[in-house]
Amino acid sequence: MLTAEQNEELTAVEAGTPMGEVLRRYWYPVAFTRELEEFPVKRVELLGDFFALWRSPSGRYGIIPEPCPHRKASMAYGVVEGDGLRCPYHGWKFDVDGACTDQPAEKDNTNFQERVRATAGKVEELGGLVWAYVGPDPAPLLPRFDVYVMDGFRDIGWADIPCNYVQVMENAVDPHHVEHLHGRYFEFIGRHEGFTAPASFGKKHQRIGFDAFQWGIIKRRVLAGASEDNDDWKVGHPLVFPYNMRVGGGGIHQMQIRVPINRTTTRFMLYTVHAPEGYEPVAQQTVPDYEIPVFDERGHHVVDYVEGQDIMAWVTQGPITDRTTEHLGRSDIGVAMLRKMFRQQMAAVAKGEDPLGTIREPHERIDLPCEKDKFHAGGAQFALDFCAMGSTRYSPAIETIRQVHLSAADRVAADHEAGRTSFLPAGGIGTATLAPDTSAQVDSGRIPR
Amino acid sequence: MTRPPSTPPDGSAGARIDRRFAADVEAHRRDAPRFCPACARDLGLATEFWEGDERRFYCWCATCGWTGEITTTGETARGHEPQD
Ligand code: FES
Ligand SMILES: [Fe+2]
Ligand SMILES: [Zn+2]
Repeated sequence: MLTAEQNEELTAVEAGTPMGEVLRRYWYPVAFTRELEEFPVKRVELLGDFFALWRSPSGRYGIIPEPCPHRKASMAYGVVEGDGLRCPYHGWKFDVDGACTDQPAEKDNTNFQERVRATAGKVEELGGLVWAYVGPDPAPLLPRFDVYVMDGFRDIGWADIPCNYVQVMENAVDPHHVEHLHGRYFEFIGRHEGFTAPASFGKKHQRIGFDAFQWGIIKRRVLAGASEDNDDWKVGHPLVFPYNMRVGGGGIHQMQIRVPINRTTTRFMLYTVHAPEGYEPVAQQTVPDYEIPVFDERGHHVVDYVEGQDIMAWVTQGPITDRTTEHLGRSDIGVAMLRKMFRQQMAAVAKGEDPLGTIREPHERIDLPCEKDKFHAGGAQFALDFCAMGSTRYSPAIETIRQVHLSAADRVAADHEAGRTSFLPAGGIGTATLAPDTSAQVDSGRIPR
Repeated sequence: MTRPPSTPPDGSAGARIDRRFAADVEAHRRDAPRFCPACARDLGLATEFWEGDERRFYCWCATCGWTGEITTTGETARGHEPQD
C-alpha cells in the first residue's frame, strides 16, 4: 500500500512534478519513420504536453511545443519550409533549434524574435522510429539498445491504452502473473472459445528474483521442471528504466515500450526483431506498424492473445490504480523494488544528478540480457506460439515472419548436417548474469507450494 | 478499437499557462498600468503588445473613456531622434 500522496507523486508525468522531471530526462519514440515520410508534420502528445514534430525535405527533424508563441495556434498544422516550420496562422517561422527566424508582419527586430523563442527538443531517427528528447540541456545520447540496431526482420505493434504507465511497468516486475493470466486464464478462455492455449505459460513459479543493474531491474524465475541452471533464472530479462521491458527467446528479440502520453494514456508498443539462429536476411524498405486490438465491438477487452490479456489487467486496475487500498503479498517484492527505484531517481534528479540509464558516451550497441531458451519451451516452438498466440498474429507481415523462423530452422538443420556453424545475428546477452549458487538482490527463495 | 480521448486539462491555473513564457506572465502582472492617468480610477483594460524593443500597453478607462498607449522605458525616458 501507498499513501494517496505517494501514489500521486509516483504516477505524475507533468512538467514541474518530481516524477515528470525524471521522465523528461529520457528519449521517447514519438512517430514511425514512415509516418513523416508520408506527411512531414505530426502532432505529438508526450508526458502530458503537446508538440509539433516535423521532418524537412533534407531529412532534418525538429520538435517544438504545439502552441505558437504568437497567438497559440497549432504549429502541428504548420508549413515545412527549408529546415524550419512556419505557423499556419500568421506565418511566424521557427528553426529546428526553436529560434524564431521570421515574423512577416513585424518590423525586423531580433530582440522581439529572441523573446518568442519556441523551446525546442532534440529528434533522431533509429530503427524505424523517430525519437524525441524534450528535457533540459545537455541532452543525453539516444541509447542504441540492441533491438534497434541488430540484424533481423522487424515489425511494430501498438495500442493506446487508457491507464497510467506505472501500472504497466509494475507488470514488468511481476513474474507470477504469467502462470495465471497467460496460463490458467488463457486455458479457460481457450476451453470456451475452442482453441488450445500454449502449455508453457502455465508452468508454476518456484522462485523469483530481482537484481538492480545499470539499466533497470533484471527479473528472474525458476519454473516447475526447471532449475537455477535454466536461462529463465541465470540470464533473466530486464525492465529497462523507466518505461521499457526487454523480452524474447527462441530467436525473437523484443522491446516492450510504454510511452507515458499523459497521466492516463500509455502508448504500448511491441518492437520486435525476428533474428533466429540461421536467419537469412530479408530486405525491409520500411518497418511495418500495426494497431493491435484492445476492445471488441461490445466494448469488452480482447483476451484471446497474450498482450490483450496484459492490457485487460492493466486497464481494469483503473486509469490510475488506487494503491491506497491494494494488498501486496510476498510475491509482489519486485513491485516494491521498482517503486523504490522510481523514488530514488526522483531524489537524484532533484539533486541535479543524471537518473539511471542516462548515457553520454557514444556507443555502437547496448546489449541487454535476455534468455534464449524461454520457459524451456524449445526455441522454434516458442517462436511459433509467440506468433500465433501473441500480438504478432495481427502483423501484416505474419507470413514472412513464420517463414523467417521456419527457413532458419531448416538452415540450422542443414548447417548441422554439413558440420557448419549457423549465422547468429549479434544482439542480446544470452549468458549468465548471476553467478551459480548466488541469490538475487531481492529473492523469494524456494516457494513452498 | 475506440480511441481514448486525450486527457482534458486538469483545470488548474498551471495547466493552462504556457510554461515557456512564465517570465512574461510575471512581467505583465508587475508592469501593466492599474489606474487611469486622467481620472485615477481603476483602468478597464491594458493590452500589452511588443513593438521592436518596446513593451506598450494599449489602455482604455471604463470610467472616463480615456484611451492611450503607455510605454515602459526603464530609467531613461527616451525622446525622439532630432528630425532632419
Ligand atoms: S499564431 Fe502563429 S504566427 Fe500567429
Ligand atoms: Fe503478461
Ligand atoms: Zn479615466
